[in-house]
Amino acid sequence: MRNFRLYFKQSATYQLYLLFTRQVNDFFTTLGDITKKTADVFSYIFKFEIDRKAVLEQSARFGVSSLPITLSIVGMSAIIVSMQVAGEMVKQGAGNYVGQLVTMLIVREDGVIMSGFAIISMIGSSLAAEIATMRVTEQIDAMKALKVDPIKYLFVPRVVSGIIMMPLVVIVASVVGVLGGAVASSIVSGLSYRAFFESVWYGLYMKDIQVCLAKAVVFGATIAIVSCTCGYNAKGGAKGVGIATTKAVVWSFVAIAIWDLLFAAAFFF
Amino acid sequence: MSITVKNLVKIFDNKKVIDDVSFSVKDGEVLAVVGFSGSGKSTILKLICNLINLDRGEIETSLGDVAMVFQYSALFDSLNVFDNIAFALKERKEFRKKFNQEQLEQIVAQKLKLVGLEGIERKFPSELSGGMQKRVSFARAIVTEPKTILYDEPTSGLDPISSTLIEDYIVRVKEETQAASIVVTHQMSTIQRTADKVIMLYQGQIVFKGTPKEMLSSSNDYARQFVSASLDGPMQMLAE
Ligand SMILES: Nc1ncnc2c1ncn2[C@@H]1O[C@H](COP(=O)(O)OP(=O)(O)O)[C@@H](O)[C@H]1O
Ligand SMILES: [Mg+2]
Repeated sequence: MRNFRLYFKQSATYQLYLLFTRQVNDFFTTLGDITKKTADVFSYIFKFEIDRKAVLEQSARFGVSSLPITLSIVGMSAIIVSMQVAGEMVKQGAGNYVGQLVTMLIVREDGVIMSGFAIISMIGSSLAAEIATMRVTEQIDAMKALKVDPIKYLFVPRVVSGIIMMPLVVIVASVVGVLGGAVASSIVSGLSYRAFFESVWYGLYMKDIQVCLAKAVVFGATIAIVSCTCGYNAKGGAKGVGIATTKAVVWSFVAIAIWDLLFAAAFFF
Repeated sequence: MSITVKNLVKIFDNKKVIDDVSFSVKDGEVLAVVGFSGSGKSTILKLICNLINLDRGEIETSLGDVAMVFQYSALFDSLNVFDNIAFALKERKEFRKKFNQEQLEQIVAQKLKLVGLEGIERKFPSELSGGMQKRVSFARAIVTEPKTILYDEPTSGLDPISSTLIEDYIVRVKEETQAASIVVTHQMSTIQRTADKVIMLYQGQIVFKGTPKEMLSSSNDYARQFVSASLDGPMQMLAE
């Protein structure tokens, strides 16, 4: 019996089992921690214990520095869609609907999810790396020893700036996307700008815009909280910073994809 | 009693890193904690500073802040020296109401003067040498006038002159503020110059207790091995 246990512990099956349970364990620990940090952050926000100057600084980072990449990703995906469909639609006599199609696509899904991906890669990763570095160089411990709550000092301004800036980024990116779609359609299929923009209005529903902005707020908060939390829990040295950053990016991607699914299910079915 | 530690136990990954440790430090007294790397010295400081939770035992400190000077300074690298030192005063409500900008600048200048670094307020930590960073982190720790001060290897990795400077600050701050201090160190010079009492840790337990003088002439095997830096003795480097 003892021999059997010894062999079992050396077996690949057992190693796989260990790997699996560790992953599952880590998943639920991370999920629980993100939930707890969310509660802590919002308890400060609801008490209005927010450092305005820090929010301003973080907002500049969140919105302005990410704008070029966000605009090009959203703009390009709109241009690609227009290039793919405009020619065919015009040929089939549906040229009047190209603007509507592109607009719906951008407002409902593309604008916000593509902006989300751009923000994760630009801002989420840098938030995680920044806070993880502070963790492994004991700056977070030093902050706690000075009796300043890292949640309040580090998390709150970053989350608030995410909540404020994400909708603005999405609006600008969506407008640029629609404009890009118009230019691309006109070049590819000779569709007039007038025909394009007249149909844009048919594709714009108030509800779509509201849902889009609500999603932007939720995505902004999610990316900031997930990235900060993954950074905050970093362990070890430089390697730990790398692991935390990867984790932040992966978790943010999956989290906003899940949010997107929930929104779609809640509002469009 | 300003710091009282009773029957302290801390377990990491099923291993007792601190195993039934008790000691006390009076106001205006410095306790040196010595021992191998990995013997649990930093863990004791982090427990007293409430950065990690204890598993068993009791820790009492006098009212007021517990300050910690970290082994690798742990300065906030996105803030300049002024903002580093003024950090607690700017971010904590009870101080924010008390001091205006002008007073803050006065306090920071005074602390910088204490550590012999006048006029470097606008520099960033990355522009300073290791010894200067240590001195700035020293200034940052004492800015709230703590009643308990913990130093984690304050002189490790410093040249002898910088070490002497830091040792002098430790003694001067102790005399001026009557704080209770704990100094974790490997250096005999730091023990001799700063400490009133010494404890020695090995595998999470206290193996020697006494004054620095007693340590030098002690017949305790552990103390003798440490003082003579000998490979022979009860303490063996464990292979990982
Ligand atoms: N957060 C932690 N998780 C797991 N083990 C730890 C942790 N912190 C310290 N340890 C372990 O506790 C022991 C004592 O560490 P430490 O107090 O840093 O030693 P010292 O400061 O005396 O060199 C070491 O074996 C270390 O690996
Ligand atoms: Mg240590």
